[in-house]
Amino acid sequence: MDLVFWEIARASGLAAYAALCISVLSGLAPRTQALSFLANNRAVRALHDWTPWIIIPAALTHIVALLLDATAHIGVLDVFVPFLTSYGQLAIGLGTISIDLLIIVLVTTWMRRRFTNNAWQWWHRVSYLGFVTMFLHSMLSGTDLTSPFIAFLSWASAIGIGYYALERLGKALNPARIRA
Amino acid sequence: MNAKSPTLPPIPVKTGPGRTVKRSGPVPAWGLKLGGVLTTLGVFLTSFGYAGTHLYVTDAPLQPATVAAVATTNTTTAAAATAVPSTATTTTTTLTTTVQTTTRPAVTVTKKS
Repeated sequence: MDLVFWEIARASGLAAYAALCISVLSGLAPRTQALSFLANNRAVRALHDWTPWIIIPAALTHIVALLLDATAHIGVLDVFVPFLTSYGQLAIGLGTISIDLLIIVLVTTWMRRRFTNNAWQWWHRVSYLGFVTMFLHSMLSGTDLTSPFIAFLSWASAIGIGYYALERLGKALNPARIRA
Repeated sequence: MNAKSPTLPPIPVKTGPGRTVKRSGPVPAWGLKLGGVLTTLGVFLTSFGYAGTHLYVTDAPLQPATVAAVATTNTTTAAAATAVPSTATTTTTTLTTTVQTTTRPAVTVTKKS
């Protein structure tokens, strides 16, 4: 039975990574036209607003499976406080940080009306850091990342998101836009 | 006929000042959401199947402490078993049975001839 939790933890970790990729890419898409071949900006924005409903179940499954798995030795405190585990402190700690950042982004998004638009945007930009920490967590601790095919897909999606994030940053720092 | 037909004006490539018209894809919002769910579920199910067939990944970057301890113990035991001759007194392996006696009455009866 314990191996089932271990398998679920591995699979849900990759599923959470895929869901986060969809969320970040759909967030970048309206400004970068990354998904314009698929749909218009209104539909892409609707997808982005809806992605918590696929990220949360995947992340929760990953956490609960690791808590129930006897070999992983992950405690409840390790889920929220980084670098407390007896092994792989950096690798697991990065996953903990990404969970914390994910919670911050989700809570501030749900409380968006209480923030000014500028303040909310700064909070929302934390999601980039969350994606980076989750990517590093998957690279440093992901058991299935030893598979060349899975590693290729993970790297390809991360590089794609990195490319569009830089494009978005370039447009944000465009002098013409700043002057306007 | 061709000489008399009027020449049509060229189709403008750009509309507006320096702007190219791009057509967005036809997928509606619910289609994107469905695609997101199916992608995530697909990754989960495929990975679950992969993890089931690759339970023990020896070159995984992270090994839990218990697994690492067992691996160390096994390595030490194997080294001791191969390196130490039978006359040596440094390492002694004690074998114990896991079958234990009980005071409970038997639940089966053996037929006596």
